[in-house]
Amino acid sequence: MMMSHRHALLTVALVFSFGWLFVVPVFAEDVAVRVKLIQGEVPTDPLSADWNKAPSTEFPMSPQVHWQQRIGSVTVKSIKVRCLHNNKQIAFMLEYADPTQDPADAAALEFMVGEKKAHFAHGQPMAQVQGGPVNIWYWRNNTGAADMSAMGFGTLKKQAQQDIQAKGIWKDEKTKIKFKERKLSLRKDPKGELVKDPKTGDPVVDEETKVVEQEVTGVWRVVFTRTLTTTDKEDAQFQPGTFPNIAFAVWDGHKSDTGDLKESGSQKAVTSWWYFNAEPPADYSIYLYGLVAVVLAAGVEFVIIRKVQKGSPT
Amino acid sequence: MGSSLTIKGGVLLVAVFLVLKFGLPLFTAPLPMSLIWLYLFLTTIGIVVFGTLSGHSTEALLGPIFRFLSGEGIGGATKFARVAVLVLFPLLVGWQTYSGLVPSSEPPSENRTIHPAPPGEFVGLANPVANTPENVMQGKGFFSAFCSPCHGAKFNGNGPASDGFNPPPANFVDAGTIAQLQESYLFWRIKKGGVGLPVEGHPWKSAMPRWEVELSDDMIWKIIMAEYAGSGHKPRTWE
Repeated sequence: MMMSHRHALLTVALVFSFGWLFVVPVFAEDVAVRVKLIQGEVPTDPLSADWNKAPSTEFPMSPQVHWQQRIGSVTVKSIKVRCLHNNKQIAFMLEYADPTQDPADAAALEFMVGEKKAHFAHGQPMAQVQGGPVNIWYWRNNTGAADMSAMGFGTLKKQAQQDIQAKGIWKDEKTKIKFKERKLSLRKDPKGELVKDPKTGDPVVDEETKVVEQEVTGVWRVVFTRTLTTTDKEDAQFQPGTFPNIAFAVWDGHKSDTGDLKESGSQKAVTSWWYFNAEPPADYSIYLYGLVAVVLAAGVEFVIIRKVQKGSPT
Repeated sequence: MGSSLTIKGGVLLVAVFLVLKFGLPLFTAPLPMSLIWLYLFLTTIGIVVFGTLSGHSTEALLGPIFRFLSGEGIGGATKFARVAVLVLFPLLVGWQTYSGLVPSSEPPSENRTIHPAPPGEFVGLANPVANTPENVMQGKGFFSAFCSPCHGAKFNGNGPASDGFNPPPANFVDAGTIAQLQESYLFWRIKKGGVGLPVEGHPWKSAMPRWEVELSDDMIWKIIMAEYAGSGHKPRTWE
């Protein structure tokens, strides 16, 4: 016996039902700082055991190359970030290797303010996009915390309302850092002669890149704390469950033999924007919605099977 | 024939999956799973449409499925499989609903356009600098001084200053970058930098300097010649 059109429609319905299961979200490839929700006060002490509760995310750092007075290499090649919140306050801990403790050692966090996207380099103006300002949480070893704002180079200023606290501790302890090491060498033939590109005549350069793990003595742990929201319009405001952008900067304030600071001003180690996500409080209604979906799916399944059985070909 | 069309459909689905998941990455970038699922879904729709073109084919495709669902005339392992499917389906729907609602700590996906359209004044510009060995050599010198810290001495985006930037600096050796572009496009990107990008290019994330502040147009055109010479590509042209 031939299949009825009703059966064909039922099959299409089944295909769509199973097809719905195929719709999976696009997995993001970016890394985010995961901000764990805790009960009680967030730690303000960089050595607090509470930091063990926070997952650590490591970000490679680059020399600031975006603007003039750029720098070729930096002391801090990567930074580990941990973060905790208690639904009222949020605390970030930056941990990075720096062999020397210096008065001008400094670190900073940067956030976009408001809905408009801001360029990671101090919220500088963009040609085709109207950007917004940035909020910078700055800490320097000899001056402490500063809650700052910027919207373009040369506009950095300390805010009238200071909402952040920061504390840094340098420990003379060993830590391991990982970074990429690149070596360039001129290719030579067995006779020791330089090999040249047959097209251009240029010497052929070989490049070797490897990840190096190095033990360094000296670690900075810097903790920034603030309430999730403030009354200051110049501040970034945070809501658990959302994905605000965050960028990092670090200065090695070591003085060279000539008395110049190794890194200062725009000469610093930076990252561009990443994300962070403050874990929202538990919402048990999602279990209920899941249960409702099970019941609905079982109901649809029951109806389809009954229809199939009634009109089933023999 | 009854079961053969159903089996052929299943084999086709498996084959499509294997080709998309493991075959394509041999030639191009791996496809995201969401896209693979979408293709499988479309293939399934195609199988259903093909299988229901006539009464015979409809019976051949759907008969085994309906007999499985209705439970008529089946026994043994097939009966057990039917119960398992009927139990698992609602549970899978429930799980999918739960996982869709549970707060995710994965950052949102970003649909950044790698090569957004340039402003009109930068379209079709010809390189005014003669492509001579001397000029290319000069360009390589400028590239080495200004660009190689990020884009790498071998033009592969692997410079020592590249690690902290997201997105990473462009790899000019890759066939998907400057080989696809005209010189005028590179002139725009170098001159105006990351902040010159339109919104779909996510200018707020780009570390590319606005080189017009520091370099003359002449230097930028020479750098472009060096990038093509160093990467082994030729600029795209209108011809």
